[in-house]
This record gives sequence, structure tokens and C-alpha cells, in this order.
Amino acid sequence: MTKKLIHKTSKAYLLFTTVLLVITAPAFYFIIQNLYLEDVDEALELHKDEFLKYSVSELKQTEISFWNKYNREIKILENQNIKKETCFYKSYYDSLSQESEPYRELNVPIFIEGKPYTLSVRANIVESEDLIVSISIIFIAILFFLLLGLFLINKRLSYKLWKPFYQTLEKIEAFEIDKNNQPQLGSTDIEEFNRLNYSIEKLIEKNTSIFANQREFVENAAHELQTPLAVFQAKIDTLIQSAEFSEEQYKMLSSLNDSVSRLNRLNKNLLLLSKMENDSYNEKQTINLNEAIEKHFDFFAEQAKSKNLTIKTELKETVAVKSNPVLVETLISNLFLNAIRHNIKDGIIVITLSNQSLTFSNSGQATPLVSDKLFKRFSKSNPSEQGNGLGLAIIMNIVKINGWSIQYNFSNQLHQFKIIFQNGNH
Amino acid sequence: MKILLIEDENELAESIISYLTGNGFVCEWASNSKLAIDKISIYEYDCILLDLMLPDGNGFDILKELKRQNKTEGVIIISAKETLETRIEGFNLGADDYLTKPFHLSELLVRIQALIRRINFKGNNLVAYNEIEIDILSKTVKVKGKKIDLTKKEIDLLLYLIGNENKVLSKSAIAEHLSGDMADMLDNHDFVYAHIKNLKNKLKDAGCSDYIKTVYGLGYKWQND
Repeated sequence: MTKKLIHKTSKAYLLFTTVLLVITAPAFYFIIQNLYLEDVDEALELHKDEFLKYSVSELKQTEISFWNKYNREIKILENQNIKKETCFYKSYYDSLSQESEPYRELNVPIFIEGKPYTLSVRANIVESEDLIVSISIIFIAILFFLLLGLFLINKRLSYKLWKPFYQTLEKIEAFEIDKNNQPQLGSTDIEEFNRLNYSIEKLIEKNTSIFANQREFVENAAHELQTPLAVFQAKIDTLIQSAEFSEEQYKMLSSLNDSVSRLNRLNKNLLLLSKMENDSYNEKQTINLNEAIEKHFDFFAEQAKSKNLTIKTELKETVAVKSNPVLVETLISNLFLNAIRHNIKDGIIVITLSNQSLTFSNSGQATPLVSDKLFKRFSKSNPSEQGNGLGLAIIMNIVKINGWSIQYNFSNQLHQFKIIFQNGNH
Repeated sequence: MKILLIEDENELAESIISYLTGNGFVCEWASNSKLAIDKISIYEYDCILLDLMLPDGNGFDILKELKRQNKTEGVIIISAKETLETRIEGFNLGADDYLTKPFHLSELLVRIQALIRRINFKGNNLVAYNEIEIDILSKTVKVKGKKIDLTKKEIDLLLYLIGNENKVLSKSAIAEHLSGDMADMLDNHDFVYAHIKNLKNKLKDAGCSDYIKTVYGLGYKWQND
């Protein structure tokens, strides 16, 4: 599955930021917590030092309960039998908030008027749960804004940066080698795209010129062949008049004759193809397809007689298309001939015409044709056939010139060629 | 009947001349347009066969020259060019027919005959051969004065055979003649046999001699023996 470029980069950014934040969030939590606890411990130490320095010397035993009454955080407890300073966590139930709150507590052994007591200094600390929630909220907010920012910047930037690329892409997509519309890609302020445009322009130029050369070659070759073919034909016509020949010689002359007429057809079809490619048939007019089919119907019916074919026509409605009359006539003739040529004895041909399509179906070989090579020049399903392998290439070309489409189907033992006039120009 | 052939291809010209000479035509040959214009200015011809691509000019210039000299000769263009534009230009400049190379000599011959018939048309347009009489305008055929029923194609075939009397006509030449514009599409000439057979039978039924001879493996020939 392909995705747009921006999706790919965005995905990478998204992944990286998410992973980074997920890893750093717990680290951040521990660091913050440690710093905080250190700070709390320092505060407790400070309170203790203050007490020892200023309060303990003046405090009397009788005042202890009084002290404890007004000091919530620094209390003097009965001797807890501790030898040295101890620091620990402890939860106290808070009647105000009605929940137990975590405290950090520092216990120190002290002497008041010579009697041992334990000093307990404590501080309410932030619940780690609260800390995690706060950190998470902050991190999610950071993540959100970071991604949003990255996405927007990336989008804007890639739109701006890739603009020349998409322009080039559009022009290449619109380019057709057989039409004379060589794209001008222009230059941009990005070096890579300039290189790309330059390379593509060079490539297109080269291909166009090769294509033109090849087309010209086919046309010239076909043209140049006409004169020697005319001489060939005339010489055979003259030769067969000269005298009586032996049976063997008649056979040879006959096969020569067939070959030259085959060469003629081949040459004419090549000329037709190259003329089509040179846009020689661009004049369009409205053509009644029913009439076009009926025009040469007798001719093809006659051709079909030797195979004893049944021709059925289902011309449901009168259909008109806008096209070149020569092309339409050639199209129908080739479809007709194709249906006759590849038919079997006593076979059938069905011609169906509707507003959307024209279909020629014919009986023939019992297996479907290999369709990927079907419309290529000189491709023949059976090399020993009479045809020159140009018929379907010509059909394909005419279909392409008119912006129609063609489908091949094999069903109910019928080979079906369907021309679809999808352009709505009828 | 005098014909002027304007064609620069020696080999082709030779064959055309040899084919036409045997059928009651006198054929003169000009291999370039200067020679052609010289001949046109001096002599009268029944028909001119004109190639368009000549070493020293365009065949259309010869058509213009004919017009300038008020010549009324029939002109058949024989050319390898086959675009609609050249055809139309040729007809506009006064050509009567257009035959694309390569062609069968038999086809050229019947085209010349048809053109000369049209030019010399005097009220009726009859082709007669012994007991056979063909009225080209009304498309009717009589054998020994009795009308016989032939299809348009059969009349066409009959004219083609008679026109090429004593010539061997290959099946492909006959097929191409009968199918006209569609000739390029054909790759099977079997239908010729059916047409020949029908024509033969109809003529035979009307009491006509058997002029259509089969030339083994190759084609047919109209011959009076």
C-alpha cells in the first residue's frame, strides 16, 4: 500500500516523539521526586537545627504538652529509644481532608532538663499519585502541542518544498508520447528538483525523438515499399500472361501472387497505423453506427459464406458517435473481419449495438485468447494464420484515438470484443 | 486508342506498356514531366496515365498544363500517395480516376476502358462481345438478344473479364476488383470461385459459349477459342 510522502515523515516524527516522551516521563518523575524529597529532608533538618539551637535550652518539662498543643509539625514525644537521627515515611490520618496523607518524619533524641525525649519533625509531602498525574498531564500537553506543531510545520514546509515536485509530477502525468505536448518543467530554487526536472526533460526529449524516428521510419518504409511492390505486382501480372506453364510453375506463380497481395495488405495496414498515429484522421463528424455497420454488411456476409457463418445483428437503437468516418469504417471492417477470420465452420457472429457499446461476438477456438498480447502489433495467437496481426492493433488505435475503451471476454464459447463509448460524446 | 503513360519507374512502365499493347492500345511513355508536357502539346491521346511523383516536378502541374491548353483527355492518376487530400486535389484539377499503387494491370486496363467509354459516350453505353451485349447504364445483359438476370457484382465481373480478354486474371486480382475499397481488408479469395461459378452457369443456361477458362491454380481467363 502506498501512502503520501507527508504521512511517511509525519509517522516517523510521531513515533520518535512518543517513544522519547514515554521513556523520559518516568525518568522525569524519579528525578523530580528525588529533588523534592531532598528538599523536604533539608527543611526537616533545618527545623530540627532551629529547635535545638533556639528552643530546647529554654523549654521546661511542664511546657511540653503546651508546645505540642500549638505545634502540629514539630512535636516532642516520649522517649522512643532511638539512638540517633532517623528519617522515615509515615502516613497520618488527616481529619480535615478525611484521608491519610503521606508525611516525611525526622526523629531525633533530645534532652529537656536532662530527661531524654524524642523530637519529631514532620512535613506533609505531595502524594506520588498526584505527582504522576501532574507530570502525565504536562507531558501529554507537551506531546500534543509538539506533534501539532510538527505536523503543521511539516505540512506547510512539505507543501512549499515539494510544490515543484508535484508540478513536475502533474506535467509528466499529462504527457503522452504520441501527442505533441512535450512538457516544460521549468526551474526551481531547489537543486535536487532542478536536477530531476533536467533529467526528466532530457529523458522525454530523447524518447520523443526515438518515438518520432520510429514512427517516421515505419511510414517511410511503408511508402518506399509501395513502388517496388507495384513493380513486383505488375511483373507477376505480366509474367502469368506469357505462356503455358507446367503445373509446378502455376503453383509457384499462384503462391507468389498470394504473397505479393499479402505484402500489399500488410503495407497498407502499416501505412494506416502510422497515419493514425500522425493524427491524419482528426476531422470528426457525427456518424450513424447503424448505417456504418449496414454499409458493408453484404460484403462481409459474402466473405462469411465460405465458412457458412450465421450473422446475427442486434441493433436495438439508432446510435450516433462523433468520430472520423474513415476510422469508424476501418474499425467496423476490422472487427467484422476478425470475427470471420477466427471463426470455425458453421459458426456464428453476433453484432450488438447499444447506446453505450458495440459488441462483436464470434465462435472460434474453444479456449479464451491470451489477452495481454492481444492488441499488440504482429501478435498472433496462431502463427500459421492468414491475418497479418495488425487488425486488433488497428482496432486498439482507433479506440484510443476516440477515447473509447475495448474489452475482451470469453463466455458461452463466444469470443467477445466490446467497444465502450464511455465519453458520452454520442 | 492512344494512351500516354507518364511514369518515372522504368520497370513498372515497361510492364504497363506490354500489358496494354496487347489489348488494342497504342502506348506512349514519358518518364518525366518535361517530356510529358511536350507530348501533350503535340499529340492527342484518348487517355493519360499520370504518376504524381516525377523526377522533375509534380504530376499536378501536368494537370494544370492540360487545363491551360484546354485539353479534354481523360486522366487516371496512378500514385503511391493515397491520402484523401491528394485524391481530392487530383479530382479538382481535372483527373477522372485515381488508382493507388500497387495495382493489378488488369484493374488499370478496365479503368482505362471505362474512362474511354465515358468520354466517348454517345447516348448509349454498350459493350458487346459476340453474342453478349451489356448495357452499362441500365445494368442489363443480353445473350443472343435475350435478357438474362445477373447481379450487379456479376455484371461487374463480366465486364472485367471481357475487358481483359485473353489475359490470365489471378484470383487475387479478381477479388480486389470485386471488393473495391474493401480490397485491403481481404485475406481470403475463396468468394471469387462462387461468383465465377454463378456467372458461368447463368451464361451457359442462356446458351452462351463457354468463354471463361480456368487457369490451373492461378485464376481465370476470358478466351474465345
